[in-house]
Amino acid sequence: MSAKRKMTRRDFLKTASMGSLGALLAAQGLPLAAQDALINIVGSGANITSDPVTFRWVDSGDQKAVFWNAFFAEYMEAHPNVTIQYDALPWNEIAQVVPLGIRNGTAHDVYQRPLSVTLAQAVNEGWVAALDDIIPDFEAWKASFPGGVFVEGITGFNGKTYSFPATANKRYGTHLLYNVAYLEEAGVDPQAGPMSADDFVATAKKVTENGAGRYFGFIMGGNQVNRWGAIVREFSRMAGAISMGVGNFDVDLSTGEIPYTNPLYLEAIDVLLRLRDDGSVFPGTLSMNAPEARARMPQGAAGMILQGPWNIPIWLRENPDFDFNIAGQPLLDPPTLVPITVGPGGSNEIHVNAAASDEAKAIAGDIFHYLGTHAGQVAWATLVGAADPAIFAEAIAAADMQPLERNALLMFNEQVRVGPSQIVRNAETAAVNLELRPVTPNLAETVQGIYTGQIDDAAAALADLAGRADAELDRAIAAAAEKGAEVSRDDYVFPNWDPYQDYGEEFYAELM
Amino acid sequence: MTTIQIPLPKPIQHTRSLRQRIADNRWVYLFMLPSLVLTLMFTLYPIFASFYYSLFQWSGFTSAPHYIGTLNFSEVIVDNQFYNAFKNSFIFMFCSVPIKLSLALVIAIVLNDRALRLAPIFRTMFFVPVVTTTAIVGIVMTFIMSPFNGPINMIMLDLGVLARPIDFFGDPKLALYSVVGVEIWKWLGIPMIYWLAALQTIPASLYEAAEVDGANWRHKFTYITVPLLKPFAVIIVLITAVGTLNVFALAMTLTGGGPYFASEVMEVYIYRTAFGAANSLTLPRIGYACAAAVYFGLSVMVMATLQLFGARWANKERAGLAAAETTAGGA
Amino acid sequence: MAVKAKRLSNEEHQRRLAIRATRLREIVTTIILTPLALIWVYPFLWMVSAAMKTNNEIFRAGTNLLPNEPTFENFQRAWVQANMSQYFLNTVAIAAGSVFIVVATTSMMGYVLGRYRFPGRRIVIGIFVATVFLPKGYTIIPIFELIGNLGLDGTLFGVILAQSGGAHVIFILLFAGYFGQMPKELEEAAIVDGAGFLRVFFQILLPLAKPVMATVVIMQLIASWNDFLLPLVLTLPRPELRTLSVGMFAFRGEYFTDWSGMAAAATIAIVPIIIVFLAMQRYFIEGIAGAVKS
Repeated sequence: MSAKRKMTRRDFLKTASMGSLGALLAAQGLPLAAQDALINIVGSGANITSDPVTFRWVDSGDQKAVFWNAFFAEYMEAHPNVTIQYDALPWNEIAQVVPLGIRNGTAHDVYQRPLSVTLAQAVNEGWVAALDDIIPDFEAWKASFPGGVFVEGITGFNGKTYSFPATANKRYGTHLLYNVAYLEEAGVDPQAGPMSADDFVATAKKVTENGAGRYFGFIMGGNQVNRWGAIVREFSRMAGAISMGVGNFDVDLSTGEIPYTNPLYLEAIDVLLRLRDDGSVFPGTLSMNAPEARARMPQGAAGMILQGPWNIPIWLRENPDFDFNIAGQPLLDPPTLVPITVGPGGSNEIHVNAAASDEAKAIAGDIFHYLGTHAGQVAWATLVGAADPAIFAEAIAAADMQPLERNALLMFNEQVRVGPSQIVRNAETAAVNLELRPVTPNLAETVQGIYTGQIDDAAAALADLAGRADAELDRAIAAAAEKGAEVSRDDYVFPNWDPYQDYGEEFYAELM
Repeated sequence: MTTIQIPLPKPIQHTRSLRQRIADNRWVYLFMLPSLVLTLMFTLYPIFASFYYSLFQWSGFTSAPHYIGTLNFSEVIVDNQFYNAFKNSFIFMFCSVPIKLSLALVIAIVLNDRALRLAPIFRTMFFVPVVTTTAIVGIVMTFIMSPFNGPINMIMLDLGVLARPIDFFGDPKLALYSVVGVEIWKWLGIPMIYWLAALQTIPASLYEAAEVDGANWRHKFTYITVPLLKPFAVIIVLITAVGTLNVFALAMTLTGGGPYFASEVMEVYIYRTAFGAANSLTLPRIGYACAAAVYFGLSVMVMATLQLFGARWANKERAGLAAAETTAGGA
Repeated sequence: MAVKAKRLSNEEHQRRLAIRATRLREIVTTIILTPLALIWVYPFLWMVSAAMKTNNEIFRAGTNLLPNEPTFENFQRAWVQANMSQYFLNTVAIAAGSVFIVVATTSMMGYVLGRYRFPGRRIVIGIFVATVFLPKGYTIIPIFELIGNLGLDGTLFGVILAQSGGAHVIFILLFAGYFGQMPKELEEAAIVDGAGFLRVFFQILLPLAKPVMATVVIMQLIASWNDFLLPLVLTLPRPELRTLSVGMFAFRGEYFTDWSGMAAAATIAIVPIIIVFLAMQRYFIEGIAGAVKS
């Protein structure tokens, strides 16, 4: 293992200055002897049948699949009568397959909920079983999770719990991943402190010059249009244009307004345009999707990419010789660093199919229970790493994790906070989600159009987008109200939102 | 629509009553049954279901679609993106079909040469892209046409044709035409087979006779090949044109309709509105997508019908002239 | 006699010239066509070579076809991870079933449309031609519900039926054209011998339509073999019934794509179709030729 994967002294100092949770996270995990010992199937008290039974599970796979493949193998060994069929499908397939299966009564026993379906809708339609009756020792199990994971309106309704966020969502997908050799050659060390957007542009130019056509400063999967939106939104949010996603646009929930007319958005777009005009962007970036762009990084095609932590385990596994490191997202307006805010609850919400057999429900309860134990969380943290972080901080501390992944989690702990949610505040706003239509072109498409030169007037395009999003939110709220939901635009205004703090129950209480 | 010429060997018997004629043909109706039932179930029913859904606000998830009358239609008709996709689909068709058909014809004529002993091998080679998985084609083509060390750019740079590499799928002015290019490459094999088949109906003796008379290849092409291929051309053009509208998988893997809608054809538009962009938090709009599909399908149908009537009218004119010349009724 | 001999040798000379011209033409065409055909199959070769490379090499080598160290590990991974050994049989069964149904239904329909005049004929033709242009069901929902209502969810037959459904207008036109141009005497003789409608079709005319059948077999085989969403959703409750194209998805994740594994899986999946095409291409072309000859 190279020295850079070990913690540097600076990292250590940074860690030491952080709060207790940070210190816990930063503790080096005890290396575990072998993977076999990592997963031990112990009965949760669930009544597992001894008859032959097939149990089916679908989620979005990737690094999670590493855990599930290992776990299910062990599970089937412990329960030879159980056959587990695990399917890992991309999100857009899940969006089609899960609803079709449910309509026909053939859905998987456990499934990840499509992103566009709210829990309220799933509960109303009777898709999901209450976990209260399925997971053994439910109250104790639920109590073992930290606050903010199970949230009324997000994971449950009327005191019942329906959804289990399998992973924490404290992460963001536009931080810096860089080629250490190229940046050293350019005389830049991103570990020295947060990089400004100007430095970022200058560094990209320097790397491109050094590359002389063999490699470039910056690469992105520009064919995957949502990447354009993600970069501009997160740059702006970190500089202070705070917002949360609603429908396919963003709303500044401190005021209830659409943030796109904030000049920070133009500044963020300008960063991309400067990269383009300097010739610092890898050629063909517009015709490359994100997986391709990421796969080119370890090949030395570019010095920097703005991406997420899921790259780390893949590069470490597939390209052990690639010397890379991570850092925070460049700052538009240094030293301003407003944390990125994520929704309450977590990611990868999994559910038990209401129509599943009792045998299958018992198995699901058994497995969910395991995920709520210390051993289960340590196994998750070890096998999944930073890609989809485990929920228990103690488990991350105890896990045998690559230093790079641990650093990523430490960084997220510093740079990510939980934001407010209109659904937690007023569950009836879920009805607005049913009415919201996508605004087209959205932020991502607009940014792409500006980058390619198809849109001349960036400011006008952003103002137009803000106007359309604003009108769409009004329309959707009116449509929901007409159908009987008690909702108003005021549900989207949280004057006490402080992005530096997790928006917890006490803040909602203040609004009452 | 009935210009599809299907010969009628049996004499028409108008003397018998309809009921008798139906009874006489009971085997005929029985033979049609399986195909008709399957068509009804898996083609017509989904089409009418689409018509029906287009009157609803429906995500495809909820048990109760919400009836909204023609609101989806009035929304489609004012959507600029719809017209953009509509335009792109027709640009696509009008670029792809003539090039694909003429290129396929040239290759077919060359391969039809009996002297060419390697013809079966070449035929297979030109057909291979047809069976190659589209998802793989998408990946391979982004490599081959990449502006960074892609062979097409490398060759053109070396030859001095280009000063700087072209981003085929990333340049908004080129993206649509690059997809057309790949589509031509992938599907050329099908019209090539059709042309080959048509060419085989021309007796070799005609060419031999012409050669004896000292005709060169141009004469043979103009005076034998073209006139004898004409009857097939209408149907081959039609099949190819309709096939060209089904470019969904290819367009999705190559450009996804981008950059900024530059290569968004109708099918991609419909998919996007039906299911939304990946990771979007908005619900699918099955009703709206169906309304767009209905509009588009109807306009294609109108245009195809006009084309057919045009072809039929042209044929009649010609037939009329021929009849006048020979004063003999054609069978 | 001398004159005659001279004329003969002259003719002989002419003939030889002609043969030489033909040979020359063959050589020139072959020389021109070879690079073009190679360009044409290059992406296919790229796929096959990618199947023998590592993921890293795919990106390093770019367009270079020859793998540094050819590996067959990808094929092995594809076979196991994509469950191809099991899915292969399903795919063959589904393809065979749908090819059989499609050949049977379209040949019967084409036969009556091509050879008989009966009340309603124009309506039937009208329906089929219209389906070419009508908007396709842009949602899989009606088909899915139909199969569910028939109780065929999670059966191979459900997938077969859904794939065989559809108007297949071109196939019907091909059969109609082919049967239409066959001489009337064929069945007249048989009818004199006392053959009924069924025997005329199955024993006399259908065997003569082999070339069109080859065409339909190949086209339907390609369509069935590559179909993805339909087999995926229809076999949800019985994953062991999945097909190769569904299995290939095991290599495509949200964050990571195993390019070389996918290339290997695609190669394994395509090879059978290419073999079928090679074996049947002669009939394939004859079939279309015969059908459009009329």
